[in-house]
Amino acid sequence: MVLASVGKTVQLQKKTENIRNICILAHVDHGKTTLADCLISSNGIISSRLAGKLRYLDSRADEQIRGITMKSSAISLHFEKGDQEYLINLIDSPGHVDFSSEVSTAVRLCDGCIIVVDAVEGVCPQTQAVLRQAWLENIRPVLVINKIDRLIVELKFSPQEAYSHLKNILEQVNAVTGALFTSKVLEERAEKETGTQIISDSVPGDQVYDWSAGLEDTDDSHLYFSPDQGNVVFASAIDGWGFGIEPFAKLYSQKIGIKPAVLLKTLWGDYYLNTKAKKIMKGDQSKGKKPLFVQLVLDNIWSLYEAVMKRDKDKIDKIITSLELKIGAREARHVDPRVHLNAICSQWLPISEAVLSMVCNKLPSPLDITAERVEKLMSVGARTFDSLPPETQDLKNAFMKCSSEETAPVIVFVSKMFAVDSKALPHNKPRPLTQEEIAQRRELARQRHAEKLAAIQSQELPEKALCGNAPETTGKTGETKGDEQQLTSQIEVMTLKTVKQEADNKESFIAFARVFSGVVRKGQKIFVLGPKYDPSESLHKLPLGCSAEADLPSVPYMACCILENLYLLMGRELKDLEEVPSGNVLGIGGLHEFVLKSATLSTSPACPPFTPLNFEATPIVRVAIEPKHPSEMPQLVRGMKLLNQADPCVQVLIQETGEHVLVTAGEVHLQRCLDDLKERFAKIQISVSEPIIPFRETITRPPKVDMVNEEIGKQQKVAVIHQTKEDQNKIPEGVQVDSDGLITISTPNKYATLSVRAMPLPEEATRLLEENSDLIRTMDQFNASLNEDKKTHEINQKTLDKIQEFKQKMEQNLQGRKWRNAVDQIWSFGPRKCGPNILLHRFEGYKKSVWQCLDKTTKEVSKYRDFDNSIVSGFQLATLSGPMCEEPLMGVCFIVEKWDISKVEEIMSTKRQQSEECDATEWKQDEDEATCLSRSHITECSSEDKEFKGSSQGSPKSSEKSSKRKGEALLADCYGPFSGQLIATMKEACRYALQAKPQRLMAAMYTCEIMATAEVLGRVYAVLSKREGRVLQEEMKEGTDVFIIKAVLPVAESFGFADEIRKRTSGLASPQLVFSHWEIIPSDPFWVPTTEEEYLHFGEKADSENQARKYMNAVRKRKGLYVDEKIVEHAEKQRTLSRNK
Amino acid sequence: MSIFTPTNQIRLTNVAVVRARRAGKRFEIACYRNKVMGWRSGSEKDIEEVLQTHTVFVNVSKGQVAKKEDLVKAFGTDDQTEICKTILSKGELQVSDKERHTQLEQMFRDIATIVAEKCVNPETKRPYTVILIERAMKDIHYSVKPSKSTKQQALEVIRQLKENMKIERAHMRLRLVLPQKEGKKLKEKLKPLIKVVESEDFHDQFEIVCLIDPGCFREIDELIRCETKGKGTLEVVSLKDVEEGDEKFE
Repeated sequence: MVLASVGKTVQLQKKTENIRNICILAHVDHGKTTLADCLISSNGIISSRLAGKLRYLDSRADEQIRGITMKSSAISLHFEKGDQEYLINLIDSPGHVDFSSEVSTAVRLCDGCIIVVDAVEGVCPQTQAVLRQAWLENIRPVLVINKIDRLIVELKFSPQEAYSHLKNILEQVNAVTGALFTSKVLEERAEKETGTQIISDSVPGDQVYDWSAGLEDTDDSHLYFSPDQGNVVFASAIDGWGFGIEPFAKLYSQKIGIKPAVLLKTLWGDYYLNTKAKKIMKGDQSKGKKPLFVQLVLDNIWSLYEAVMKRDKDKIDKIITSLELKIGAREARHVDPRVHLNAICSQWLPISEAVLSMVCNKLPSPLDITAERVEKLMSVGARTFDSLPPETQDLKNAFMKCSSEETAPVIVFVSKMFAVDSKALPHNKPRPLTQEEIAQRRELARQRHAEKLAAIQSQELPEKALCGNAPETTGKTGETKGDEQQLTSQIEVMTLKTVKQEADNKESFIAFARVFSGVVRKGQKIFVLGPKYDPSESLHKLPLGCSAEADLPSVPYMACCILENLYLLMGRELKDLEEVPSGNVLGIGGLHEFVLKSATLSTSPACPPFTPLNFEATPIVRVAIEPKHPSEMPQLVRGMKLLNQADPCVQVLIQETGEHVLVTAGEVHLQRCLDDLKERFAKIQISVSEPIIPFRETITRPPKVDMVNEEIGKQQKVAVIHQTKEDQNKIPEGVQVDSDGLITISTPNKYATLSVRAMPLPEEATRLLEENSDLIRTMDQFNASLNEDKKTHEINQKTLDKIQEFKQKMEQNLQGRKWRNAVDQIWSFGPRKCGPNILLHRFEGYKKSVWQCLDKTTKEVSKYRDFDNSIVSGFQLATLSGPMCEEPLMGVCFIVEKWDISKVEEIMSTKRQQSEECDATEWKQDEDEATCLSRSHITECSSEDKEFKGSSQGSPKSSEKSSKRKGEALLADCYGPFSGQLIATMKEACRYALQAKPQRLMAAMYTCEIMATAEVLGRVYAVLSKREGRVLQEEMKEGTDVFIIKAVLPVAESFGFADEIRKRTSGLASPQLVFSHWEIIPSDPFWVPTTEEEYLHFGEKADSENQARKYMNAVRKRKGLYVDEKIVEHAEKQRTLSRNK
Repeated sequence: MSIFTPTNQIRLTNVAVVRARRAGKRFEIACYRNKVMGWRSGSEKDIEEVLQTHTVFVNVSKGQVAKKEDLVKAFGTDDQTEICKTILSKGELQVSDKERHTQLEQMFRDIATIVAEKCVNPETKRPYTVILIERAMKDIHYSVKPSKSTKQQALEVIRQLKENMKIERAHMRLRLVLPQKEGKKLKEKLKPLIKVVESEDFHDQFEIVCLIDPGCFREIDELIRCETKGKGTLEVVSLKDVEEGDEKFE
C-alpha cells in the first residue's frame, strides 16, 4: 500500500499506455461504491478497515443518509503490477434509474467499465441499461460478481449450488450482451438491405433471399464474459476479497501438477479432477462429481467462512498458517466475526489486486481507442463521418494517436459541470495561520474596536445631552471595556466568518472532462465548441491554421476562453495541476460562463463537437416550485439557473402562467434537485406543488344516444322519478333562446339587439387554426395598418401566398350547407385575435372580412363601422374565458345573425342635428359625459375593471375617430358608454350561446412512449387504463424482447405517473412523455341521469365518477369560482355541538 | 292535547333557524346547519336534508308552533311544506360555520385569482401564480371582508402587496394621437400619468406609444377627450403587457 503523492500521479499521467480510464456501473445497491472503497483503500487514502463502510466517493450528505450514489465522481488511483506502474482514473457512477444521466456522463469519459452484478439478485433492469449504455459508447466491459458472501451467509448455499447459481448469472449477463449484439447486427443488415434493394430492383432475376441474417458471419466470442478469458472476478467487496481464476490456476498447477494453461481453461466449466489419474475430465454432472471450480476454489472459501463464523480457533489458525498470513490480535479478538473474516480475506485474496489487475490486463488504454468509436464520437446526428470536412477527418489521427506532444491538437470533452463549494477548492482552502498572522490580525481587530468605541462615544455625547437614557449605554461601554480581550477575540472570529461567508456564497462550477488528445495547460486559451457547432461552416470563415489566441470573427456556438484552473479529481478533494497530458480525466475551473452542460474544447476550430450523450432516462416528472416568501423570487430564478447547469438531466422553465417548472427524471432525482436548490443554489425555503393543468372549453353536436346507449327522445323522460335535467345555467330574463340555440339579447339601454349562435368547428379546421396562429397574427396586424390608411406595412409575397393557401384550406375544411360562404364571412379570430375560434357575420349590409389584406381594399363605409370593434372585443373576451371554468375556448364558431342598431342611428342623427345647430352645446355634452363617467367611476368602483376593459377595447381604431367620439358621447347614458355596453352584451350573448349547446371540456394530452419487456406488459396496461390513458400501438423491437408501446394520456393524470409505472413494473418499463394535442373529454360535465334506463344504471346521484365534472370542479375550486357541491353531504351526520340530554 | 313530558317531546339538535316576517308575525323553521345555503344555490335538492321538521314555528327554541290561522293569513295556505319552502328562499338565515368558511375561502381565492390576473413581476414581466399570491396575502394577514366585492378588495390587496414584494399592475400599452396644436401642452399634463414612453413621433400629428398603469386609463381618456375636443385619439394596443410563451433556461 502506497500513498500516492500528486507528484507521482503527474508523472504517471504522462505514460499514456499505462493509464486506464474506467467507470463502475451496476444496478442500484449492487456494491459499486463499496467496491470503489476497496480500490481506494489499496492506495491508502482511506483505511482498509473502513473500506466498504465509509463510501468515500459518496460525498454528499443525502447520499450518505439514503445510502445511494447520486452523482458520478472520479478519483485517480495508482497501481503497481509487476514492474509496471499504472494510473487508474476511476469513476464511480450511481445505479439508481433516476440518475442514469450521470452514468452517461461517466461512460463518455472512459475506455472501459467494470460491470458489477449482485450474486444473489443477478441481472436487474439497470444492469441491462448500463450494459446497453456501455455498448452504445463502444467501451469494453469487465464483470465483477459481487456479494458472494451473501450466498454463503444468508442463503446458506452449498458450494455446488453456489457454482450453478453463479453460472446462471453469467449466462444471464451474456444473454443481454448477446441481445445487444444481435440487434446491432440486424440493424446493420437492415441498413445494408435498404441500400441493396435499390440496386437489386434494377437487376431482376437473381432473387435468392439470404436467410442467414448475417449473424453467423460475425464473430461475437470476444464480447462474452467468461472466467477463463480473465474478464470475470468473483468478489465480496464488503469482506474485502475477490479473485479471478488466474491466481488459483497458478497455485494449483504447482500442487496438482497440471499445466497452468490447461487449468486456466478448465477451472471454470463442466470439468472435474480425476484424482487417481491426476487428469481433468469432462462432464462432471453426468458422473456426479464436483466441478473443478467447486473443488478447488469455492470449497476453500466456504470452509474459511464456516471456521470463522463458528469461531473454530484451531481451524482458523491452521488456515492462517497455511496461507502464511498475519492477523492482528485485535481483529482476531473482535466480537464480530466479520471483522476477523475481513482481516483474513483481504490479505489472502485482496479484491483491489484482483480487480485492478484485471482492469490493467483486459481494458484498453487511451491509446487503444478504436477507429469505430472515434468516428461515432465525431459524427453528430445523422451526419456520417465521411461528410465532415477534410481538416476534421484529419483530427481522427490525433484521436487515434492520443499523443501528448506539443504539436498535437488539444481536444477535451466536458461531459458535465458540477458545483463545488468555493472553499473546497485548493486555492481557497483554509490553511493554518502562522503565529505572526494571528498577532497581526489581533492588532487590527483591536484598532478597529478602538475606533468603534471612539465613534460610539462621540455619538453618545450629544445624545447624553438630549435624552436621559445615556447612563444605560455608558454602563454598557464600561462593561465592554472590562473584557476587551474577549471582545477582540469575538470580533476576530466575526471578521473571519464574514470572509468565509463570502466564499461560502459562491458555488464554483468545475467541468468534468477528459483530454482526448494533446496537452492541456493552465492558462491556455482554447475554443469552446457548443453542441450545435458545425466545423464545416466555420472553417471557411476563419483563417487557416488560426489559434485561439488571435482575434477572430465570431462564429455561432463557438467561444474562446482561458482554462483558469486544472484539477486532479480525488473524490471530494481537488488537487491543483499545471498541465494534463492526453488520455486523462480532469476537472477544469472557470468554464461556467462558457459551458452550459457539456461541450468540446479544442485548439483546432476544425474539431467537431462530440455526439450528444445518450440519456437512458429523459426528464418527465414535472413540478411547479415557488419560494415560500414571495419576495425571494430572484434568488429562486438564479438558483434554478445554477441547478440547470449543475445537473445534466434536469429541465427548468418558466411558463406563460408565471409558474417555474422543474422537470426531473424521477422522484429521487427531484428530491435531490430540491435539496440542492434549498441548500446550495438558492438557499431559500421553497414549496413544491403540482403544476397547473390547462384546459380548453368547447361545444359538440347534440348527442344522439344517451349514457346507456338508448336513442334520445324515444323513451319517456321520467322526470317524475326524481329530477329533471335542470337548466343548470339559468338564463336571466331579457334573453331569448330559440330551440336551436339562437340567442337574442339587447344592451341595457335597449338601443341595440344582437342575435348570436354558437357552432362547433370541425376538428380539422380547429387544428388548422392552431397551426396558423402566427400567420393569423400577421394578418391582423396588416389589416389594422390598412385601416389606419398610413404607414402600410409592406407584406411580402410569400406571406400573401401563405395566407391564400390558408384560406383555401379553411374552405376545404368548412364544407356543407351550414358553412356556406363561411370563410368569406370570417370577422375575427379569438382569443387574442389569433386563437382557434372564429366569429362570423351573417347579417345584411356588412362586408368587412379578415381577408382584406389579400385584395388590399380599404374598409368600406357602413353603418356598423363605428361599433364593430366593440363586437369583436366582446368576442375576444368571451373566447378568453368560457362559462364552464373560465378557461379559453377552442374550436367554437360564433355567428352573429342579426345586429339591430337602427334605434342608435335614429338617436344619433337627431342628436347630431341638434349639436350642429349650436356648437356650444357640444361642450356641454362632453362635460356631461365626463361627469357621468367620473360618477360611474366612483360609484361603480367594483365594476371599474370591467368597465375600463370595455371602454378600452371599445375605443375605436378607425382613423376618423372624432365623429365616432361624438356619437358615443351622444349615446352615453346612465349605463355608461355605449361601446362598453355593446362589449358586455356581446360577451354575454356568446356565453349564453355556448350554454345553449352541449358543452365539453378539452384536456391536454401527452403522447407516451413506453419501453417494456414482455413480462410487465400487463402491468403497464393496468397503469395506463387506471389513468385514463389509451394505447395507440404496440410494437416489438427487432432482435430483443422489448416492446414499444405508444399511448396517449391526459396531462391531468400524469402527476406521479412515471413513479407509479416504475414501481409497478419493478423498473422494467420506462415512459417518456411529450405534449401532443387537445382532446375532447367525451363525458358531459353537467350530466345527470334523466331517463328510466339511465336512472336504473347510474342511480339517483350518478355516483359513478364523471371525469369532466371532476376536472371542471377542480379548476373552479382553484380559481375561487362557485362550485356546485354540497358543503355537508348528510345533514344528520354532522357533529352535535349542544349538550346531550 | 298531548301532555308535555320528556318521553313525547322531540328535541332538535344542530338547528339553524330561518326566520321570516309576514303579516306582522315572525315565523321560523328549523333547518340543519350548513344546508340552507346549499338549498338556496340549488346544489341540495332533497328538502328532507334541509328541514329538520316540516312544522312552521313562531319560536323554534321554545318549540312554539305557529297557529294555522296566522299561517293562512300570512302565506295564504296552510301547507306547511310549501310555507317552509317560501321561508327557506325568502327568509333571513343564520350562516353556519362551514358555510361561512367556504364562502370566505372562495372569496379569498377569487381575490388572489384577480390579483394574479392583473399583476406582473416588474422584473421579468411575467405574472405571479395564484398560489404565490395566496401565500403573500396570508403573509400580510389580509382578512377578507364578505361585504365588499372581490374586485374592490383585489385592488386593495395589490396596494398592500406592493410594500412586501415586487409586484405591479400589468401595464396597458396605449397609442395616443394628438393634434399638433395641443400636443405640446397636453404632453406636460400627461407626463405624470405615463409610466414609460416607448416611442414618440412628431409628424403632422403627435403620436406616442406608451405604457400606463391601468388605473390611470380613465383619467387619460378624459384628458384627451376634453383638451382636444375630440380630435385626439387614444387606442389600446394591448391590455396587459406580459411576456408570452414558455421560457426555457439555457
